[in-house]
Amino acid sequence: MGYVKRKMTIVKAVTCPVCGSLCDDIELTIENGRIVKVKNGCAMCESKFLSHNSEHRVLKPLIRKNGKLVEVSLEEAVKRAAEILAEANYPILYGWSSTSCEATRVGLELAEEVGGVIDNTAVVCHGPSILSIQDIGISSCTLGQIRHRADLVVYWGSNPWSAHPRHIERYTAFSEGRFQRSAWKGYLTKIKASIAKKKIESALRRVFFRRKPSVPPQPRMELPPAMFKEGRKLIVIDVRKTKSAEIADYFMQVEPNKDYELLQAFRALIRDQEIDVDEVAGVPVGYLEEVADLMIRCGFGILFFGVGLTMSKGKLRNIDAALSLVRDLNMRTKFVIMPMRGHFNVAGANTVFTWQTGYPYAVDFSLGYPRYNPGETSVTDVLLRGESEASLIVASDPVANFPRKAAEHLVKNPLIVIDPHMSVTAQMADVVIPSAFVGIEASGTAYRMDHVPLPLKKVVDPPKGVLPDEEILRRILSEVRKLKRKMLVEAA
Amino acid sequence: MELLIKNGFVYDPINGVNGEKMDIATRDGKIVENVNESKALKIDASGMMVMPGGVDIHCHIAGSEVNTGRLLRPEDHFRDFERKTPKTRSGVGYSVPSTFTTGYRYARMGYTTIMNPSMPPLEAKHTHEELNDTPMLDKATYPLLGDWWFVLEYLKDGKIEECARYVAWMMTTTKGYAIKIVNPGGLEAWGSGRNVSSIDDQVPYFGTTSREIIRGLCKVNKLLNLPHTIHVHTNNLGKPGNYLTALDTMKCVEDLASGDKPAIHITHCQFCAFKGSDWRTIKSGAEEIAKYVNNHSHVTLDTGQVIFTDTTTMTADGPFQYGLHELSGNKWVNHDVETETSSGIVPFRYRRKSYVHAIQWSTGLELALLVRDPWKIFMTTDHPNGGPFIYYPRIIAWFMSRKARETTLKKINPRAESRSLLPSTDRELSFYEIAIMTRAGQANALGLKDKGHLGTGADADIAVYNINPETTDPSKKYRTVRRAFENAAYTIKGGKIVAKNGEILRHVKGATMWLDVQVSEPIKITEEMKRRFREYWTVEYENYPVTENYLEVSHPTTIKADV
Amino acid sequence: MINLYPLKEFEFPIIAECINPDIFQDKTREDIEKLKIWEGNRQRKLEELFKVKATKTEDQAEETTITIRGDVSKVRKIGAKMTNGEIVIHGDVGMHLGEEMEGGTITVHGNVGGWAGSMMKGGTIEIHGNVGDYLGAPYRGSSRGMRGGKIIVYGNAGNEAGAYMRKGVIKIYGNTGQFAGLRMHNGTIYVQEDCEGRAGACMTGGKIVVGGFLESVLPTFTIESVKKNVKIEENERVEGPFYLFLGDLTENSKGKLYVLKEKNPHLSHYERLL
Repeated sequence: MGYVKRKMTIVKAVTCPVCGSLCDDIELTIENGRIVKVKNGCAMCESKFLSHNSEHRVLKPLIRKNGKLVEVSLEEAVKRAAEILAEANYPILYGWSSTSCEATRVGLELAEEVGGVIDNTAVVCHGPSILSIQDIGISSCTLGQIRHRADLVVYWGSNPWSAHPRHIERYTAFSEGRFQRSAWKGYLTKIKASIAKKKIESALRRVFFRRKPSVPPQPRMELPPAMFKEGRKLIVIDVRKTKSAEIADYFMQVEPNKDYELLQAFRALIRDQEIDVDEVAGVPVGYLEEVADLMIRCGFGILFFGVGLTMSKGKLRNIDAALSLVRDLNMRTKFVIMPMRGHFNVAGANTVFTWQTGYPYAVDFSLGYPRYNPGETSVTDVLLRGESEASLIVASDPVANFPRKAAEHLVKNPLIVIDPHMSVTAQMADVVIPSAFVGIEASGTAYRMDHVPLPLKKVVDPPKGVLPDEEILRRILSEVRKLKRKMLVEAA
Repeated sequence: MELLIKNGFVYDPINGVNGEKMDIATRDGKIVENVNESKALKIDASGMMVMPGGVDIHCHIAGSEVNTGRLLRPEDHFRDFERKTPKTRSGVGYSVPSTFTTGYRYARMGYTTIMNPSMPPLEAKHTHEELNDTPMLDKATYPLLGDWWFVLEYLKDGKIEECARYVAWMMTTTKGYAIKIVNPGGLEAWGSGRNVSSIDDQVPYFGTTSREIIRGLCKVNKLLNLPHTIHVHTNNLGKPGNYLTALDTMKCVEDLASGDKPAIHITHCQFCAFKGSDWRTIKSGAEEIAKYVNNHSHVTLDTGQVIFTDTTTMTADGPFQYGLHELSGNKWVNHDVETETSSGIVPFRYRRKSYVHAIQWSTGLELALLVRDPWKIFMTTDHPNGGPFIYYPRIIAWFMSRKARETTLKKINPRAESRSLLPSTDRELSFYEIAIMTRAGQANALGLKDKGHLGTGADADIAVYNINPETTDPSKKYRTVRRAFENAAYTIKGGKIVAKNGEILRHVKGATMWLDVQVSEPIKITEEMKRRFREYWTVEYENYPVTENYLEVSHPTTIKADV
Repeated sequence: MINLYPLKEFEFPIIAECINPDIFQDKTREDIEKLKIWEGNRQRKLEELFKVKATKTEDQAEETTITIRGDVSKVRKIGAKMTNGEIVIHGDVGMHLGEEMEGGTITVHGNVGGWAGSMMKGGTIEIHGNVGDYLGAPYRGSSRGMRGGKIIVYGNAGNEAGAYMRKGVIKIYGNTGQFAGLRMHNGTIYVQEDCEGRAGACMTGGKIVVGGFLESVLPTFTIESVKKNVKIEENERVEGPFYLFLGDLTENSKGKLYVLKEKNPHLSHYERLL
C-alpha cells in the first residue's frame, strides 16, 4: 500500500509498579511493542512506563572474571550463581519488594534449600512497624473503607503529595465515597484564597516599600476554622511543612525526634488524663486537647504514617504508640491506621514470607527451619556484624541504600544480582543476571499497602533472552538441587 | 497406579458399611471395584480401621486474616517448628501454622479435604495463592457475601433473582464454593463502628435486616442449586444469651426448606449457644439448641469445640473480635474490607479454671452428644478459634468416652463442672458415628459427591488408623484411640500413600474445588456496571476476578441454576 | 569442671544451646565433644569448634562449672534454659545468653550481645562489661518478660532493658539506652548512671530508679513527691533525694519512676506542682 500500518493497541486497567498505592487504572498506548502513552498515572508512573525501554539496559548475563564483568551465557551465569549459593555457609537473599509474589515464592524455596537468610526491604522501611504490630496489633482496613467513610484523615511523618502522589485523590481526602464527599472543592477555595492573599501581600509590599513586617503573629490557642467544618478534614503532622502539609486543613509541626512524646500525650488525653507539662514536642497542650477532641468526635478516623515516624528516634516504639493510640480511640469512635508502604510490592513480599514461613521478613533458614528475630536475623544486622558469606540480591540496590559498613561486607563476598537495571549493586557484583520488568514485561501479583492483591500485567515483550525474576530463580534453584545431589553422592 | 488396602475394618457410613472387614481397591486416584492383586501395591490393614479421608467443613487456614494472624504471633510459632526434609518444606506451627505445615499436619491425621470458610472477595486472590501452597489437601473456600453492598441493595428491593445472578457471578469470579454469611448486617455496621444486636435490627444506611439477608441468601442458594447450604455465623456471636439469636436464625428459614434437605448450616455453634444474661451467669444453651435441631431437618451444625490451650481467634466478625480484645486486653487486629466485610484477630487462651471457658468447653461436647443424628452435627474447633486442629483426636476421645470427659471435668472450674450437662450424658459415640461426624456427614452437607465415602468412583482419599475396633473399647482405652487418630497409619490421597505413621512420604498438591454457576441470564458487564464497580471498590473491574491461573490445580464443578 | 577454648575466630553465627551445665552434667569429655552445634547452616560437633578440657576440682559445686576462655561473641544461646550450675566466660559473648534461664549463675568478664537473660525465670547473670539491647526482654510479639532472677551489669546497657518485666531485679551500674522498663508490670530496674530517656514508657507497675541524668520524663508521667531514699533490694537502699513520678497515664497506671534530684536540675520545674 505504500506505507506500513502502525500497530497501536490500548491496554486498560494496568497496575502501576511504582509505589504502595498500586493504582490499577493506568491506560497504556502501545505502538510497535513500545509504550508511547500513559494515561491516568502520576509523574513517577509515567516515567516508569515510558523509560523502561529507553534506558540503557544490560541484556546479557555478566560474570566477573579477572576483576571485570564479561558477558556469558545464561546457563553459565545460573550455574555460577548456584555454586556460590550452594557452597555458602551463611548466604543472604535480599530484595523482593519490587518483584512479583510469584518470584518471592521461588526465592523462599531457594533460601530454604541453601540454608540462607532471606529478607525484604521492609528491614529498612516499615520493619519497625511490623515489630510493633506484633506487640500491639493493628486496627486497619482497605483503602476503600477510608474513601467511603473517613471524615478525619491524618498523615503523620508522611508526605503523600510527593511519595504517593495519587493517594489523597484516589483513597482519602479528595476521593468521593458513599458516605463521605470529596474535600477537593474546599481545597480549591483554599488555594485560591491563598493565591489572592499572596497577591495582596505582594501589592502591599510594593506600596509600603520595604517596610518591616509587623510583630510576628502569636500562636493562636485555637484550631483554624477549617477544623470545625462539616465533612472531611485533613491533618498533617510532620517535622517540616511539606507539600502535603500545605494543602491540609491543619498542620501540626512536631519537634524532631519527639513523635513518641506527642503520641503518648494524645493517648493520655483521649483517656481524659491531666498532663503536668504545658507543652509536648513543641506543641502547646491546649492545641493537643483540641485535636484529641477532634479525633474522639470524628465518625471514622484514619492515621497514615510514613517512614518519618518509623525512622525517627524511638523507631518501632513510635509505631507502638501510634498503634496504641488508634486502638484506644476505638473505645470512643471508629479509628484505623495504616503504614504508607513505599515499594509497590513490599506488602506482597511480607505476605508471601508470612504464609510460607510464619514470619514477614528477616527469616533465617540456617537451621533448616524458619527463625525470626529482627536485630539478629535481619540482613542489615547480619551484614553489619560481617557474618554472611555470599549474597543474592533481587530487584533492589542495597549498596546504594545500606549503611556503608554493611555495603562493604556485601561486596567483599560473592555477590549475585538479578535486576532489570544495572544498579550500583549490580556494578559491584560477581554475577549479574538481567531480568524483565515486572508489571511491564512480566506478569505476576502485587499487594497494595492495604493488602489488596492486584494482578501485574505483561504489556510488552521483554528484550530477547531476558527472563522474568521468577524463571531465573527457578533455574538457579534447580541448579542448586543438582549440585547438592552431587555433593551428597561425593560425600558418600 | 493401583493400590489395595487389605483386611481392614471399613467404616463407610455413606454406603452403610459399619466396621466390616473388606478390601478397598484404587486405581488412578479413584476407588474401584477391584484391582489386579499381583500388580497393585498392597497395604496390610488387618487389625486396623479404614475410613474415607477426613473432611473439615470449617477451618481457617488461608487468606488475609489467617496470614495476618501468622504475622501477629511470632511468639506462637517460635517453639513449634518443622525442619525441612528431603521430601517436605519447613515451616512453623502451633495455632496458625504456615501453609506447608498446615497441609502436613492435616495429612498426618488422615484428613484429605478441608474448607476454608471466610474469604473476603476483594482479597480472594490471596486466599487462592495460599491454598496453592497448602499441600496434601483438596480444598475450597467460601466468599463472604452477607454484607456485600450488592446483596444488601438487591435484597432491600426484594430483587431475589437479580441478587442470585450477582451471587452466581461472585461465586465464579472468586472461585468460591458456598455462601458464607457472618454476623449479617453487623459487619457493614462495623464499618462505621457499630453493630446489630438481633436479627431484626436495621442495618444502618441500608434499610434491611439480618433476617432479610439470611432469608434472601437462603432463597438465592436454592435458586442457584448450590451443593452446600448457606453457611452462617450468627449475629451476637460470643455474647451471653445468644442461643436465642441462634434459634431465631434457624427458625427464620424454617419455611424455606424443601423436604428433608437442609437449608442452613450454623457454624461453630458452641459460640452461639450461650444462655444467661452476663458472663457471671452464663450457662450452656446446648439443650435448647439440640432440642430444636432434633425436631427439625433443615439445619446442620458444626461444633466449634473449645480446647484448653493458647490459640489465635480470627473471624470476619469485626465487632465480636473487638469485644474479645476489650475482654482479654490482648493485642487486636481489625481489617475491614470495602463494600464487603470485615475481620478481626485476637490471641486468646482458654483456661480450665475459667468459669466461662470451661462452660464453653462443656457446651461444645453437649451439642455433639445431645444432637441425636450425627449427620446433623460435625466435629470442628473452628480452627483456630476454639483451638488448633491438631487437637481433633482429643475431641474424638471425649466423644467416644465418658471416662475421658470425666477426667477433664475433674480439672475444670468447679462451678462450671457443677453446671455441666456432661455428667448426666451417658452417650458414647461409636466409630461409625465418628466417621460420620468427621468425614461422611461433612462431605454430605457440602454436597461433595466424590468425598467422604469409599464407594466405587469416589476419590481415593483414605485414612487407615492403627486401632482394632474388635479388641479396643474406646470408652476405656480412649488414649489409644486418641493416639491412633493423631497419626494415621496410612493417609492416602488420590490413590497415593502420602503419610505413614506420622511421617510425610510425599508432598502432593491438592486441588482447589470451586463452582462454575451457570445462570440463564448472566449479569452483563456494561460500562454502567464498571462505573458502579469503580464507585464501590478502589480497584478496576478487570483486576477483580480470580482468573484461573491463580489456581494451580483447578477443579470446577458446573452448577445449573434455576435463574 | 569443663573448660572450653574456641579453636578459631568465628565468622558465622554459632548456635550453641548445648553449652549448658544441665546438658554437660554427667557427661564425659568425649560425650561433650560430640554434642551438636550449628555453625552457619552446617551442623558440627562441639569439638570441631572448641577445644574441650576437663579439670578436676575438689569443690563439688564447681564440678558442673563451664569456663569459656576466648572470644565467643558470635556464639548464641549459651546457657539458654539452664536450671543450675555455673558458666564463667572470659571474653565477649553473643546474643541470647541465658535465655529462658531458670537457675544457676552466668558470669561474663567481657561484653554481651542482645537479649541476654531474655524471658529469664530465675538464677543470676553478672556482666562485667557492656550489654546489648533487650536485656531480659521477651521474644518478638510476646508480653511475657523476665519473671524472676537477677541481672547485674557493670557496664552500659542498650535499649529496652527490662521490657515487659514481671518480677526480678536488673541493676545497671553504667548508662542505659531508651525505653528502660518499657511496659514493665513489676520488679525493679536500677540504673546508676545516665538514662537516654523514655524510661518506664507504658509501664503498669514496678519500679525504675535512675541515679544519673535522665534526658526527659515522658509527658505521661505525673510528679508525686520527693523521696529521701529508695529500696532496690533486701538490704539495699540508694540515697536520694529522688523525684518520684507515677505513670504511665496512657495505661491508667501507677508505676514508679525515681529520678535523682541532684543530677536532674532540668526537672526542677515539676516541684512547683508539689
